[in-house]
Amino acid sequence: MARTFRVWVDHRVCVGNAMCESFAPGVFQLNADRQSEVVDPAGDTEENILEAAENCPVSAIFVEDAHTGERLFP
Amino acid sequence: MVMTVIDDDMFTDEVIADPYTYLGRLRAEAPVHWNELYEVWVVTRHDDVVWLARHNELFSSAVLKNDPRPAYPVINDSDLGLYQYVRDYRADQFIQHDRPEHLEMRKVVHTYFTPRAMETWRPFVVDAVAELLDAAEARGEMDVMRDLATPLPVLVIAQMMGVPRQDRPLIRSLAEKLLYQFRGERDRMPVLVEGMQGLKEYVAPMVEERIVSPQDDFISVLASGEKEGVFTRNQVLVNSALLLLAGHETTINLLCNGTLAFLRNPDQWELLKADPAGRTRRATEECLRYDAPVKSIERLATQDIELRGQLLRKDDRVRWFISAANRDPEAFTDPDTFDIAREPNPHVAFGSGIHHCLGATLARLEGQEVFKALAERFPALRLATEEDLEYHPSITFRSLKSLPVRWD
Repeated sequence: MARTFRVWVDHRVCVGNAMCESFAPGVFQLNADRQSEVVDPAGDTEENILEAAENCPVSAIFVEDAHTGERLFP
Repeated sequence: MVMTVIDDDMFTDEVIADPYTYLGRLRAEAPVHWNELYEVWVVTRHDDVVWLARHNELFSSAVLKNDPRPAYPVINDSDLGLYQYVRDYRADQFIQHDRPEHLEMRKVVHTYFTPRAMETWRPFVVDAVAELLDAAEARGEMDVMRDLATPLPVLVIAQMMGVPRQDRPLIRSLAEKLLYQFRGERDRMPVLVEGMQGLKEYVAPMVEERIVSPQDDFISVLASGEKEGVFTRNQVLVNSALLLLAGHETTINLLCNGTLAFLRNPDQWELLKADPAGRTRRATEECLRYDAPVKSIERLATQDIELRGQLLRKDDRVRWFISAANRDPEAFTDPDTFDIAREPNPHVAFGSGIHHCLGATLARLEGQEVFKALAERFPALRLATEEDLEYHPSITFRSLKSLPVRWD
């Protein structure tokens, strides 16, 4: 069974660069303030979600294994 | 209180020496101000700057392609042909594009600059800083601009571009010519064009080679964009120049303006010296906020937009001032105080939104390592001149002309 991710964005840090939205559009979308919002943590492949997190220019994206609590990014 | 009319000349000696008083008054009295003299909207509040930067569909970055107005400050009439060359050259750089093209172009280069990827450059930066400081140490004095801030970023970028060691002096001389892009001298065009053409000629054979056999350098990344059909060959070449200039001028200003802030605030210098490794990260953020390397950014309105009771018309030029937003009392406590422990520090030195500075992590890293090294090695650092320091007459960059210091 595939892992379930817990994904969140630190809005004190997010600058709305929107790269996450382009790497994993099913997971991240910009809100009214033009900051990234997690709309569905299962909305894309693990690979794309981790790539989105890695490509955040200000490291605002956090990813954990929802079951074990293991930190997957950063 | 007598209200006086705001002078629209943003290039007076007074405003160039101290932009903060002028911009602070605009922010308080006319936060969205039509500057008649330069035909540009001047936006100064932190919340407005963030809003504007994040609404890229309302404010176009394709300024050089679509703004027909002449260069400012003015240039020699005989250089109008050269100015056209500069416009065409810069208009082809990826930062002068809007979506959807901008996203495709940015994706090609973005992955090279991730925080993790940049962290692997820290040892190279540490060594380069050490070498430059070694060369100056015995003299007991240096010009931070000439001896540290100008050579360091070129060393780093030349290495990223994959430039062989023996060509570094050539790259440095081209990089110094590119610095004229945002200067105020009337006769700046010939030098700038020499730098632009020279860099294209230098990089062209490297691109040719990397199209065939890619390496792990940045020129190969740009070349891959050509193979994918995102960049034309010309765009590969002009984006190489963009990397060289963008990583150079801004980092110079961070290092010089930051060092000067420490020299003028000895209590903060003492604080950094007490724990350089532990405090340099937040200190670098405060340097970026307090005396930001880039003062302002220009856009073109894509439609009529109402902002704070003013009507910005389609195709109007809009210039948002980082230097004003970073000193906004509604966003920062004691905004005119240099406080290296400031947290949170939501400065907009790197902009915001889809055009947020590609090299932000690298600039931060260079700042962190330089301020740390200066605090560790030259604890007695002090200004070596009684004269007022001079700045280049630019409204885009906050650039000192030199910064002489001593530590003996």
